[in-house]
Amino acid sequence: MTPALWKSAANALLEANLQLTRGSFTLDVQLTLAPGEVLALLGPNGSGKSTVLDLLAGLATPDAGTVTIDGAVLTAPGRFVPPERRAIGLLGQDSLLFPHLSARANVAFALRVGDAQLNASEARKEADRWLDRVGLKDFGGSLPRALSGGQQQRVALARALAAGPRVLLLDEPMAALDAETAPFMRQLIREQLAETGTSAIIVTHDIVDAVVLANRVAVLHDGALIDEGTTAEVLAAPRNPFVAALAGVNLIVGTVQSGGVVAPDGRMFWVRPADADDLDATGPGAAVFRPASVVVQTEQPRHASPRNVWSARVTAIEPGSGGVRLRTSGDPEVIAELTPAAVADLGLQLGSTVWLSVKATEVSAYRR
Amino acid sequence: MIPRLLYLPASIGLALLVLPLAGLLLQVDWPGLPALLLSQEALQPLGLSLATASVSTVLCLLLGVPLAVVIARSQPRVAGLLRALVTVPLVLPPLVGGIALLSLLGRGGVLGSTLELAGLRIPFTTAAVVIAQTFVALPFLVIAVEGALRTAGVRYERVAATLGAGRGTVFARITLPLVAPGLLAGTVLSFARALGEFGATALFAGNQAGVTRTMPLAIYTAFNGSGVTTDQAVALSLLLIAVAVIILVLVGTRRASVLS
Repeated sequence: MTPALWKSAANALLEANLQLTRGSFTLDVQLTLAPGEVLALLGPNGSGKSTVLDLLAGLATPDAGTVTIDGAVLTAPGRFVPPERRAIGLLGQDSLLFPHLSARANVAFALRVGDAQLNASEARKEADRWLDRVGLKDFGGSLPRALSGGQQQRVALARALAAGPRVLLLDEPMAALDAETAPFMRQLIREQLAETGTSAIIVTHDIVDAVVLANRVAVLHDGALIDEGTTAEVLAAPRNPFVAALAGVNLIVGTVQSGGVVAPDGRMFWVRPADADDLDATGPGAAVFRPASVVVQTEQPRHASPRNVWSARVTAIEPGSGGVRLRTSGDPEVIAELTPAAVADLGLQLGSTVWLSVKATEVSAYRR
Repeated sequence: MIPRLLYLPASIGLALLVLPLAGLLLQVDWPGLPALLLSQEALQPLGLSLATASVSTVLCLLLGVPLAVVIARSQPRVAGLLRALVTVPLVLPPLVGGIALLSLLGRGGVLGSTLELAGLRIPFTTAAVVIAQTFVALPFLVIAVEGALRTAGVRYERVAATLGAGRGTVFARITLPLVAPGLLAGTVLSFARALGEFGATALFAGNQAGVTRTMPLAIYTAFNGSGVTTDQAVALSLLLIAVAVIILVLVGTRRASVLS
C-alpha cells in the first residue's frame, strides 16, 4: 500500500511520515495530500486517527518522522514549527467556539490572527460575509450558547476557513449533530471546501462522509494504514473487517442523469425523490442502499411501481450479519441479503441468474 | 430533601458566625460613632489599609496569574509540588509567616543583611506591610485562578493556535476571558485577606501610626487601651466590616453581570 501512497508525492501539498509509540500503541503512517484534494481517513476507535491529526497540526510531536507542506518542513528531527505558524486548521466534533465571543467575533478572531491579518473593522465586515456563506447572516451578534449545535458547528466551519488554512483537518465534524442536521452540515462542508479550494483530511466513521466529501480514502488500523485508494475502490474490495462493516452498504458511484445515478456498467439507479431534487442535473453522484433492501426473484417481476429492476448472476453466497449475503455480477457488484430459507426456496446456486429489484425510496443519493 | 437532623448543627453554625457580629453591633456607641470614625486615629489606618491592600492585590495579580498558569500547564507531578509549596503560607499561622519574612528580609536575615549593605531597609516600613499582605494573600489568588484554568482546559487555546494566534494573543484574548470568574473570585479573596492581615504585619512591619498601623493593628492597639478606648476598637471593627461588605456587594453584582 505504501508505494501507492507515495505515487502522488510528486505534486503533493502535504507529505507526512509519522512514527509514535505510547505504551503498547504504535503509530507508523505515511500519507500525502495533493492540492485541492480531500482525503477521508477511516478507521475504528483507537486506530490513531485523531493522533495523526494532532501530529499534523503540531498539537503533538512524533517520536520520529517529518511533516512538510508545500516543501516547507514543519516537523523533522530538531525542527518543530508551532501550530500557530503551520496554517493547518482543525475542526472537531465540538465546535469549540470561544464562549465569551459572539459568532461574528469568533470568525473575526480568525481573520485577525490568521492568514488574512485584517484590522478590527475589516475583520468584522469580512466575518459577516463568512457568516452569510454558512447561512447565519442574522446571527453575528449571538453568543455561542444562544446557537443550536448545528449553528455552532457552521460558525466553527466559517471560523476555520476564514483563517485561510493550507490544509483543513476535520475530526468527525458531524458526530455530535443529530440525523437531521448532519446532512446539511455535510453538504455545507462540501460546498465550502470546493469554493475555497481548501485541501482537507476528514477523519470519520461514516461511509457517507467518505462518499460525499472525499476523493480518496485511507484506512487506518492499529496505527498503520492498511488500505488506500479511491472511495469506490476501497469499498468495493474491503481488506479488513472494519471496512467490510462500513461497506455493508451497496455503493454505486457514477454519474447523475435525470434524477438517478448511472453505474459504470450503464445500469440506472432511481433514487428517492427528495434526494433526486438535491442532485445536480449532471455530474458525479453516488447511490447508496442496504443489502436487505434488495429483493431477489427468479422470474422477471411485473410490477410497475417506481423501482430498479435488473438481472444478474450470483457470484458468491456467503454468511452475513443478517442471514445470507448474495454477491451478484455487475460493475459495481451488488450485494443482497436474505434469509437462508429464502435462498433454499429460490433454489439459488453459484451462477444462477436472478432478477434483483430495489424500490427507489430505499435508495439515497449524494452529490460528489 | 434535607434530613431533619441537619437543622440543629446548621443553626448552631449560623449562630456562631452571626451572633458575635450582632454582639459587636450592640456594643457600638452610636451617638459617639461619627466623631470616632472621623478621627485621625480611624481615618489614617483606614487609608493605609485600603492603599496597602490595593497594592498587594495588584501584586498578587501580577505575580499570581503567571504562577497559576505555570502550575496549571505543568506536568502533573511538577504541578502537585508547586501547588503544595503555594499552599504552605495558607496553612501557616500568619505570625509564623511574619517570623519567616523577618528571617529572610530582617536586619540579620539572609537577604536582609545584603539589602542593608545596599542601603535598603524593608522591615518596619510600609513596603513591609505590602510584602506581608502579599505573602498571605497570594495563595488565595493562585489557587482560585489555577482551578479555573484547569477547568477551562487547553482545548480552546489549541483551537486558537490552529487559527494562527500566537501564545500572547491566545493568553490575552482567550485564556484570561475564559477564567474571568475565577480571576474575580481570587482577586476578592486576596483583597479581603490583605485587608484583614494582622499577624505577619505585626511582626514584620510593626505598629507605627501612619506608616505600618493598618486597620487590624489599629483595632488591636485601641483594644489594648494604649491611649484610646474600647469604643474606638468597636467602631474601627464596624468600619472594617462595612468596607468588606461594600466590596463584596460591588464585586458580587459585577460578577453576576460577567457570568450572565
